[in-house]
Amino acid sequence: MQKAVKKMPASVNRRTAPMAVAVVALLGVTALLQKAIDPTARQIHMGEKNISQVSGGLNNEFMLLPLLGFREAAAGLLWVRCDEFFHSGDYDAILPLVRIITLLDPHAENVYVTGAWHLSYNFTDANERSDRRYIAPSEALLDEGIANNPEIPDIKFEKGWQNFDKIKNYTEAEKALQDCIAGPHHDETGVKGTDDYPFAAPLKTLHLLAHTYEKQARLPEALEEWQKALARTEKIMADDKAAGRQQNYANKQMWFAEKHNYAEDLQRYHNRYTTTGHDAINPSNPPLPGVLWPTGPGISPQPWDVALRPAIDVKRPKVLRVYGRFNTADGSRIDCRITDWFYKDRPLVDIKNSFQVNMAETILVDSCAVRKGKFDREMDMSKDPKMYSFSVPTYKIVLSYNPRTTSPHLTDRFGWSGEGMTDSDLTHVYLDNREPLLGTALIAGQGATGPIWDGVTVPWANHSQPVRMVKVTYKVSRKQIMGEAPITAKDIVPND
Amino acid sequence: MVPLAIARQTVREALRRRVMWIFLICGVFLIALGPVFGFLSPKDSQTVLRSLGLAAILLAGLFITIVTCIYLIPVEIERRTIYTILSKPVQRFEFVLGKFLGGFAVVFINIAAMGIVFLLMIRFQEGKVPADMYKGVFLTFFQMMLLAALTIFFSTFATPVLNFFMSFGIFIVGNLSSVTESLTTSRVKATQVAGTLIHYLLPNFGNFNIQNTLIHPTQEITNPDVFIRQNILYALIYSAVLLILAVIIFDRREV
Repeated sequence: MQKAVKKMPASVNRRTAPMAVAVVALLGVTALLQKAIDPTARQIHMGEKNISQVSGGLNNEFMLLPLLGFREAAAGLLWVRCDEFFHSGDYDAILPLVRIITLLDPHAENVYVTGAWHLSYNFTDANERSDRRYIAPSEALLDEGIANNPEIPDIKFEKGWQNFDKIKNYTEAEKALQDCIAGPHHDETGVKGTDDYPFAAPLKTLHLLAHTYEKQARLPEALEEWQKALARTEKIMADDKAAGRQQNYANKQMWFAEKHNYAEDLQRYHNRYTTTGHDAINPSNPPLPGVLWPTGPGISPQPWDVALRPAIDVKRPKVLRVYGRFNTADGSRIDCRITDWFYKDRPLVDIKNSFQVNMAETILVDSCAVRKGKFDREMDMSKDPKMYSFSVPTYKIVLSYNPRTTSPHLTDRFGWSGEGMTDSDLTHVYLDNREPLLGTALIAGQGATGPIWDGVTVPWANHSQPVRMVKVTYKVSRKQIMGEAPITAKDIVPND
Repeated sequence: MVPLAIARQTVREALRRRVMWIFLICGVFLIALGPVFGFLSPKDSQTVLRSLGLAAILLAGLFITIVTCIYLIPVEIERRTIYTILSKPVQRFEFVLGKFLGGFAVVFINIAAMGIVFLLMIRFQEGKVPADMYKGVFLTFFQMMLLAALTIFFSTFATPVLNFFMSFGIFIVGNLSSVTESLTTSRVKATQVAGTLIHYLLPNFGNFNIQNTLIHPTQEITNPDVFIRQNILYALIYSAVLLILAVIIFDRREV
């Protein structure tokens, strides 16, 4: 049987060719348009991960959403689940969700900030001491958030805050806060100039940066930062007044607080480092022991001997009693840090898929309060084998006193960099000479002759003091931690 | 105007379909759920309301578009009503265009309805409606227009079931435009070629997903208005391409 040949009407054939040409031409136009669209689309989707990378942790109901282009909706719903877990105290469930959410929606700044806070603060042992192993992934998460959201100050502020408050790495805190204030698209004062976001960073960033400078013993910069904060608050208040708005008392309170902090820094600077301090002006008010006055009347220009004399007993396996004498005022704290001998503070961590930490590592950070010149604290690590596995042969126990991290009433005695203290056992005195840690240069014209450092007047021009810490380092074995051998003064090794 | 007459009739028929109303009600219900998340912090609840609302419009719009458009031409052929239409002075391209316009109008009505509810919810929770929110609804509308054109194109030669899976599949692939774009720079030659073809030839539905910038207003992109105009132009031209292809195929189809 002959197969019928289908014949198209001539009009159809005539139309087909131009239409086919039109299709090809228009497809070319769409390809060009797509090329033009791609750079902006790349900006929108910056940091988003391929769905296959996040699918491992997603339930089926959440899998379809990102595939259909609802990444943000999936991330939002997962965040709702996180909130439930926070309130029910199921902290272990939160981390995987935080990882998935930030992969799905890399612009969810709140998730980066909350996730990093959670990592740094909320994993604790039976005595509420943080698991410091999570600091590195927390920092890595914040760095990832900053890279994906360079415009947003919140994540940079959080990095500054964690380094200030938790890690006490003021150099890193300063960098993060400076970066936050600098922010893209701003002038050098941090002003962005749009109605919605007039400043690149909120006012609290300036406050924290000022405190960070104080902790770094860089007073002129701290004062300058308070002045900037005051200028900004005054501008906000003036703008309110000019616009006929009612006075905002929160702004007024803020102004008072900034003024107070500025005045306090100025007073402390003069009291501690110059001859114009009110204590020096009023000889009837003798300085506190240990404080170095350049020319204060009737004071011996000798640093105060804090005489740190520690001892460590092992009461039970993994239970240490740290005690001893420390010749300072009440409120001082001796920092105690127990780590694997080769523990690295900032290990390279891979947070591409999860926030796993090396469970074989041990680190404990604690502190002992000093009362009436003595300290005594039991550190029980026996209840948390996951945190304190003690799985290497050798450990480092460091007991130290850092004038930079202590409270202001103690800094009044020893200066911001510990100029006013020493230890008669000179092996305990430790100078950290690293460049970023050098203390203040003096305010031009307000420097007097210079502080006295070990009995020698240091000219102000050279006054960029390193941190003078008091520190004792023990090298102990696993057997000693387990109580099979005592920890004695023979285990003390030179500070590194 | 013949296509407009066909479009009017198509809208009337489509609005009689119960399944479309079900999707619309589901979409509106999902959007209305937004304020339930008020227990979260203000910033989080704003994020959830916006993301869920936009997702609901897109999800309901997706199903409404596909379910409406896959039947437009096959039903006419199955019921043989197409003979009556084509025996009148109606060109086949006018028929295809009319069906597309009708389907598109149905999609417009639905997205507009959900968009209004969404914007009201935003107004209710945030006290005002940021101008960018309109853009989100607007771009979803053009995304669905492109999908409607794709579905009409498939309906000229495929059965409704096959059409459903093909349209849905291409919508998913098109949504992964950030992935296909990364394939265009792959070091493996074959992957690079395949990636380039997919990225530049298939409709990129992912282009229209600007939800992220709406949910996180602090995220800045260069020339957002130009980007939106480019996307609208892309949707219009690509829809034209699909409709021409649909006409070419439908012209040659024996009905």
